[in-house]
Amino acid sequence: MTTDTASVGGDPRRLLSDVRALAHRVRLDQRMTWAALLVLAAATLVAIPFDWFGMRVDCRPDGGCTYARRGMLFYWPAAMVLAYATIAVLYVRAARARGVGARVLPYAITGAATTVVFPAAWLAVNLYFRSNPYPDQPLPYWFFVLDRLVMPWGMIGVALLVLAWLERNTALALFTGGYLALVLLVLPMSDGFGPPHFGIRAGMAVPQLIVGAVLLLGAAGFALADRRRRRTP
Amino acid sequence: MTDAPEQDAAHPVVGLDDVVHQRVRLGILTVAHEARRVEFGYLRTQLDLTAGNLSKHLSVLEEGGLIEVEKGYEGRRGRTWITLTGAGTTALADEIRRLKLLITRVEATVAGEDPAGR
Repeated sequence: MTTDTASVGGDPRRLLSDVRALAHRVRLDQRMTWAALLVLAAATLVAIPFDWFGMRVDCRPDGGCTYARRGMLFYWPAAMVLAYATIAVLYVRAARARGVGARVLPYAITGAATTVVFPAAWLAVNLYFRSNPYPDQPLPYWFFVLDRLVMPWGMIGVALLVLAWLERNTALALFTGGYLALVLLVLPMSDGFGPPHFGIRAGMAVPQLIVGAVLLLGAAGFALADRRRRRTP
Repeated sequence: MTDAPEQDAAHPVVGLDDVVHQRVRLGILTVAHEARRVEFGYLRTQLDLTAGNLSKHLSVLEEGGLIEVEKGYEGRRGRTWITLTGAGTTALADEIRRLKLLITRVEATVAGEDPAGR
């Protein structure tokens, strides 16, 4: 940009392209994608012992077992609120230090709002099966996808989509797409890996470990890309 | 600047606002719009300007009611924050719209067409 007054017959195309380039640079400076993913990875990994030790498992003499993941129910609502508050603070502080405002608030609010989805769904399912018999036939596939979506890991993905939209961040949108495919379609987030390789607790812990690792790898990737960009003049 | 039909039919240049239609000032408005709130030092770096030069442009925009300037301290360090006003947001959107119209006109003229159909 120069200090010349743009002449009327000048180059509007160049002016517009300058405006777009400036806007893009500001958006890049407002991003702290790696920090958001790091906090969410930490929340996911810390959840594992809560789930492990908070799980109530009742095994019958015939070998069949029932379980209740009480630890998750108590851990995630508090952890989500804390995680999104931490992300918001980190974003605002970093943006302020760089000299710009932050656009993270809608993401933090969406994230915190998703906190209620998991306990609400858990309560709804419990109330339903109290007065309705459990179906004899296998449940449809969409039920499992929906079940995984309302779980904390699905909600993390939904909130990340909001962040990608706020930041006009294509890389994050692609990462989140892959992440959601993993937690909704690939990993058994709600019922865990079964025997003979895993017991109930370990079978539940492994998918969470994979999700935590994926978020951690994402954080490392975005941090590296951010660092590389800042080094490039 | 209004959106009246008769003015839209005129050449887009007619409605350009002299305060906004200037490279640096357009840059300031763009950065302030994207950043929500922007610090003086950040603007100076992004627009590659001297402090004095930037201050002059900020004064023009502030007098035009397009930005708000807020001075304060963070620790011992003085900091100046710039925020876009509602009028600033409208003026920026209008400028971008007219620039796009201008490009369309130029392209149509080059292609030997009259975009207004006259």
